[in-house]
Amino acid sequence: MPRLGADGAPPVLPIASLLLGALALALVGLLVLLSPAAFAGYLGLPRVVAINHVFTLTFVGLVFAGTLQQLPAVMFVTKLAWPRLGWLTLPLLAVGSVAVVIGFFRGFSAPWLAFGAGATSLAWVALVVQLARTAAQRWPKDPGSHALLLSALFLALAVILGFTLASARTTPSVAAQVGYPVQLHFTVGLFGAFLLGIIGSGQKLLSMFALSKGGPQWRVRYATYAVTAAILLEALATFARLPLITASHVLLAIACALQAWEVLNILRRRLRKRLELPIQRYVLAHAFLPLAGVALLFGEGGAAMILFLLGFVGLAVSGMLVKILSFLTWTWQFAGASTGGVSGGAPLLRDLVKDELEPIITWGLVLAAAALAAATIWSSALLAVVAGAATLLAGVALTAQASHVVGVTVRSRRRLAAAAAAAQATKTLEEARA
Amino acid sequence: MTETELTEINPAVPARNVLEALHAVIDPELGLDIVSLGMVYAVAVVDSQVAIEMTLTTPGCPLHGSIEADVRHCLGQVPGVGDIGVELVWDPPWTPDSMSAEAKRSLGFY
Repeated sequence: MPRLGADGAPPVLPIASLLLGALALALVGLLVLLSPAAFAGYLGLPRVVAINHVFTLTFVGLVFAGTLQQLPAVMFVTKLAWPRLGWLTLPLLAVGSVAVVIGFFRGFSAPWLAFGAGATSLAWVALVVQLARTAAQRWPKDPGSHALLLSALFLALAVILGFTLASARTTPSVAAQVGYPVQLHFTVGLFGAFLLGIIGSGQKLLSMFALSKGGPQWRVRYATYAVTAAILLEALATFARLPLITASHVLLAIACALQAWEVLNILRRRLRKRLELPIQRYVLAHAFLPLAGVALLFGEGGAAMILFLLGFVGLAVSGMLVKILSFLTWTWQFAGASTGGVSGGAPLLRDLVKDELEPIITWGLVLAAAALAAATIWSSALLAVVAGAATLLAGVALTAQASHVVGVTVRSRRRLAAAAAAAQATKTLEEARA
Repeated sequence: MTETELTEINPAVPARNVLEALHAVIDPELGLDIVSLGMVYAVAVVDSQVAIEMTLTTPGCPLHGSIEADVRHCLGQVPGVGDIGVELVWDPPWTPDSMSAEAKRSLGFY
């Protein structure tokens, strides 16, 4: 039976990773706000690509990597293999992500991209090996765990494909061998890593937080198959030049539909009617899946990607970040503290969250996704400014929420420790007097 | 709701008192005590030794360590309780139906 902090990585690692991830979302908002014109034009500009990677590699990547230091032990009901590996992988990931972003900002600077992509690739490969080693100790049978395993593998693959893209820009022989598989990089990252990551972790966490027990999990299984098959078809289309792109896109649409259906099914079976605000945000995220699909059908690929990333991924990841961080910090401070838990004065998990910040995060991201998608469709810099401001607001609120969760927990623990010490001192004094 | 099985052999403290004390162990996520949540399957008291058979909402529950520590802490305060054994079991699995009506109501089931 895993214990957070004891069977996972040292708690400071995932907590720091999640806090940095939250801060990265605020940075995304600030950067969009500083470059609105870029989003009103061609989305392949280095500045746009750089901002995109602050979101994908730094915000989502760090939250995902931090979560992988603890969640697998809980999902697979085993101990995390090589728990101290995080001391190497997480800093490497953070440094590599920053280098990639700088490389894009400098107009696809080859040395920065090579270093950044190399570092992040190395970090993600190490994380995948750690995850596989953890799973091998007690191989999970549920489809949610399989989706999580595959998502980490695809994230590593997406980063390696990014490395390949960076190499193709600087080395003609690489470009001659593999071409420039940017579409495959998108599909593996957006669907293989992010969609499967949300499917895998969400299936377990949503069921747990909504008290929704049992039920068939075939949707999760088939969604995982569909994403994997879609990526294989797209790889064949890219490297063997087979006409399989449409089939791949149909499978991805089916996977998205299955995930939305699974979420609805979990909610229908739930017994906890009042969902907490971060969980409501996770559920709301799925409304962006059909919106992204509609945008794609109308030929608005840029808008579809924004709705998927900022809307679906942004809302889902920020929702789970708050819940996972609450668990991590609470167990870090109170598990085995012999203070008597909640009846001894420890706060409830829901008391760690500042409810006032939640609507700002949720509706800030909803507005940001809608405004930025509209900005690309109508080439409006003004809408991009609105999107930047809304993302910045949501990111600052998320960072404040994450800091609040950690601060309240640590302060509560210190207060209890001080009270226990005072009680002990009084007792000793009374005994001495007697 | 789960009915807790109570067993006593020459008990230093009644098993019912031990079960009563476990009402002080609160699940930090749900904000309800483990008895009302139906997690305590059995309490056995032999002389001063107490054995608790209980479950959690999910096998990988990250709060496992803290809840078990709280059980030991709470029972340690009960006069007459000596050694404490806590065994986590997964069969039968916990379901929301295991909860008391009051617990269900406070979580908004109705």
